[in-house]
Amino acid sequence: MTNAHTTGHEILVEVSGYPVAVDRMYHADSHMWVKRLTPGTVRVGLDALGVETSGTLAQLSFVAVGDELARGRAFGQLEAAKFVGPLVSPVSGTVSRTNDAVVTDPGVAEHDPYGEGWLVELTSADETELADLLGTPEAITEWFGRTVEDYRLRGVIAE
Amino acid sequence: MTRPVRDADTLRVIDFGRASALRSQTLWHAVAHGVSSGEPPTLSFVRPAEPYVCLGYHRRLDEVDRAYCAEEGLPIYRRMVGGGPVYLDSGQLFFQICLPARSVSPARTAALRDLLSPALSAYRAAGVEAELDGNMEITVGESKICGHGAGQVEEAVVVCGNLIERFDHERATSILWLPNPTMRAEVLRMMRRFVNATPADPEQFKHAAVAAYADALGLTPEASDLTPLEWAAVEALDEQFTSESWIAGPHGRPRPPVREVKIRAGVWVFAAEHEDARVVASVVGDSVDRAQFRTSTPYDGLSAAEAAMAGVTLSKAPAVLAGFGSTGRRLAAAFAAADGKSL
Repeated sequence: MTNAHTTGHEILVEVSGYPVAVDRMYHADSHMWVKRLTPGTVRVGLDALGVETSGTLAQLSFVAVGDELARGRAFGQLEAAKFVGPLVSPVSGTVSRTNDAVVTDPGVAEHDPYGEGWLVELTSADETELADLLGTPEAITEWFGRTVEDYRLRGVIAE
Repeated sequence: MTRPVRDADTLRVIDFGRASALRSQTLWHAVAHGVSSGEPPTLSFVRPAEPYVCLGYHRRLDEVDRAYCAEEGLPIYRRMVGGGPVYLDSGQLFFQICLPARSVSPARTAALRDLLSPALSAYRAAGVEAELDGNMEITVGESKICGHGAGQVEEAVVVCGNLIERFDHERATSILWLPNPTMRAEVLRMMRRFVNATPADPEQFKHAAVAAYADALGLTPEASDLTPLEWAAVEALDEQFTSESWIAGPHGRPRPPVREVKIRAGVWVFAAEHEDARVVASVVGDSVDRAQFRTSTPYDGLSAAEAAMAGVTLSKAPAVLAGFGSTGRRLAAAFAAADGKSL
């Protein structure tokens, strides 16, 4: 981990060549970050490895505002390289807002995944599930670095 | 009669033969639900018995000329995999390889490469010297010879492609909504150049595909059929795929100001305008293949401007058009609106 710095809204560190915002929580399997906005309200987005493994984003779509989500269910779909796949919700909650900017230009999620490229906001986020996420800078950077190393060894991402 | 199989080392092979337009989609989507629920990896084949139009999951319905489709009796369906609106008929044999999502690379491009590569052996066994190019297109020379798409359905990943035995370029162009006849003619010209059929023995292709996918995945092929649960999924999907809300598609991008049509990866045609300047242009790589200009204000230099644009990279288009006065600047503004982002 090197070069911790603060951008407009997030605290970024570099881990194995990737930016990682450490002012939020992470769901390891889905490569989604979760940031508390107010009590019970969270913002969700893709982390840098989620963006990298997706490839150039062509299309994003979301479920409707007001939809109730269970953890592990899709809150939308992402298309890259003619490959459509689900955006998996890291926590249960109710969709209160979706980011129209990334629907209009998915490149925003690619170029600024921790900031303007956020995906959805949820209310009534399940506190128990939030507690299951990676939530300390040490745990986040250790997990992220280990995953990058694993992906590089397996040829999932370039050296 | 084939039987369902559940062996972990088995590659289920299901040949659906000819199926209705609707079933040529819902059958393999049901396979994906089955594999997601624990059925073995599955390679399936299907040939649509009648022509129809199929939209990629995210694509706007207004990219299709619905009036033409209605007139021609072409149903329109939406698939759960990516890509644009396409015309399908009985001259195309479709294959689908479906695996548990956990068994493919987390990197989509790598997953796509892994799951398209075995198909190359099938084309070659059928006498088609196919290559997988750097744009992840299966090609012969500069022509795309396979329309592919991929998607994750629940916990299964499916990659689809086709052996195009015959290709109706005119109909494949006619099903698209295009703003003017000049663009329609240009799309047809580019489609004829860059999308082509490779007549081959479909039985030989299927046989080789089974061997190649079994070998690549380390599995033993076994002819099979859908399970009762998968047949139930087919019926549910029949209903879903014919519902207005599904055909309308997800809430996605607003309609782009410029009509852009991808012919194959790296090749596209657009129509754009600025004030009275109208442009139809085809792009190969990052260079203009052909530009066609119209203005309502008479200007003698249009033909010269069109000729000057051939082979010019998009980034240099404004500089080249700047040599054609105020008309050139309006044409450059139209050019600038096209960026290929809607493709």
